[in-house]
Amino acid sequence: MSMQHLLVELVVMPLVAFIVGLFIVLMMRKLGARIQRRIGPPLLQPLYDILKLYGKRTQVSHGLLHEIGIIMAVGGYIAAETLLPVPGLNGIADKGGLVTLAYVMMVPSLGLALGVGQCANPNGSIGISRALTAMFAYDVPFILVVFGVAYQYGTTSLTEVIAIQQQQGIAGWGVVQMPLLFVAGLIALPAMMGKHPFEIYVAPAEIATGPMVEMGGKFLGGLFVMQCFQFYTISVLFVTLFLGGGENWLTFLLKVFAVAAVPLSMAYVFPRYRTEDMLRFMWKWPVVLGLLGLALVMG
Amino acid sequence: MGKRELTIPVKQPARSNPLAHVFDELMNFCRARSMFMLHYCTGCGAIELPPAMTSRFDMERLGIQPMVTPRQADILLITGYVSIKTLKRVILTYEQMPSPKYVVGICSCTVNGGMYWQSYATAKVLKDYLPVDIYIAGCMPRPEAVIEGLRQLMSDIEQGNANSWQRYYQQYDHYLGNQQKLFGDAWQTPTDVVAEARHYDLITEHTLGKHTALLEKHQKPLEPFQARLKQREEADGR
Repeated sequence: MSMQHLLVELVVMPLVAFIVGLFIVLMMRKLGARIQRRIGPPLLQPLYDILKLYGKRTQVSHGLLHEIGIIMAVGGYIAAETLLPVPGLNGIADKGGLVTLAYVMMVPSLGLALGVGQCANPNGSIGISRALTAMFAYDVPFILVVFGVAYQYGTTSLTEVIAIQQQQGIAGWGVVQMPLLFVAGLIALPAMMGKHPFEIYVAPAEIATGPMVEMGGKFLGGLFVMQCFQFYTISVLFVTLFLGGGENWLTFLLKVFAVAAVPLSMAYVFPRYRTEDMLRFMWKWPVVLGLLGLALVMG
Repeated sequence: MGKRELTIPVKQPARSNPLAHVFDELMNFCRARSMFMLHYCTGCGAIELPPAMTSRFDMERLGIQPMVTPRQADILLITGYVSIKTLKRVILTYEQMPSPKYVVGICSCTVNGGMYWQSYATAKVLKDYLPVDIYIAGCMPRPEAVIEGLRQLMSDIEQGNANSWQRYYQQYDHYLGNQQKLFGDAWQTPTDVVAEARHYDLITEHTLGKHTALLEKHQKPLEPFQARLKQREEADGR
């Protein structure tokens, strides 16, 4: 692959991710509206929100780390997009792999922690400590799933995982080969997306949206962009590991939206767990299922 | 406050980009379609907001959604009477919001005091203390009226007419004077409004006056809040 071709891909992949992410956010809000028997926001609402936030006249910055934190939060996901192969675009996916991706996906939470720490708002500090605890909780089943998939297909390269699954057809998909790991991943999915019932670190009614409490203008806009990337990254990773990746853009997007719809529609019907209950739940059910699945895969 | 004279005035750069007004139009378009509201629900008007937000009259289809902190919000929705004590909080909240920001006064209490006209503890006319963009009168206005008022605000924003946040800077002396009349001469907020007016290049002859001079005379430098748990002996009063 030529250098120019690679550079174009590195720009196009995050761009595509952002656009698809906008539509996933729209789907989340539309789903919520339908569940509550409302009409819901218009088609371009997520874009209007982001443009408006970037266009604010007042931009309250609390210091250098506050700004760097937002850049890390968005940049971590932009880096993750280039490691995620999508139909026709491989980026640097064959250089990195599942392990690199798992590392890169932790960067946004840490960046957010830096930025929120500088804001010195007690609600923000409580929120970010809860967010890091949540990361601690869902990372255990997530790593089990990643390990199981890597063992099953004998590789940590995402392009190879997709190629093997597509060669064998539906019978070779991760969901058929490793049903228990699939269920474990599905339970961890809402926590990774930060949605109910594992949404305690946002909790608008008690800690005033936690990490977002001091964010306004472009900072909040950056977090909205990050949310688009977050939903996209997690859905695409799940599709890649279990649903055979994308043969073409049509089936790929269908699978991505179907995966994203599961946690996002659950979000509007559940209340939230407390932090310690979330930790207990996450380390019990998905971990037990994941370990059983791992035993089946290795046995 | 000799320090203030030493600061270098911020000059807004001249807009040489021929597409600048296109950006302005786009921004106004987006601002009108995405309004995050902070509702300061002091009075009975708050009861009419949940139906306006939920399934019957769904505000989200207009792009209006509730937010929880002033930093994130565009509209400050004041639903009902403001007592002198709450008005202080309302002003603190308003000054923390990022501009462009809009104030909506709901119910007749914010227009003229309503049924609290004779109360000694109520600030009667809201627009004396904050620049109000739009009033929605009624006791209480039904959700249809609330949405009608917000749609009026949307069209004002889109046409670029909802500029009352600039009026707060341009006529700060007037607003501060009214605030001082209620709260006493020592009234100050953590926000340096005059410096912000200078930043936005919105200083007029009505920004500075005798009331801002009084503020400068009484102004105490702000100190970080010391959060400290009391010892048990102190708490028991021993």
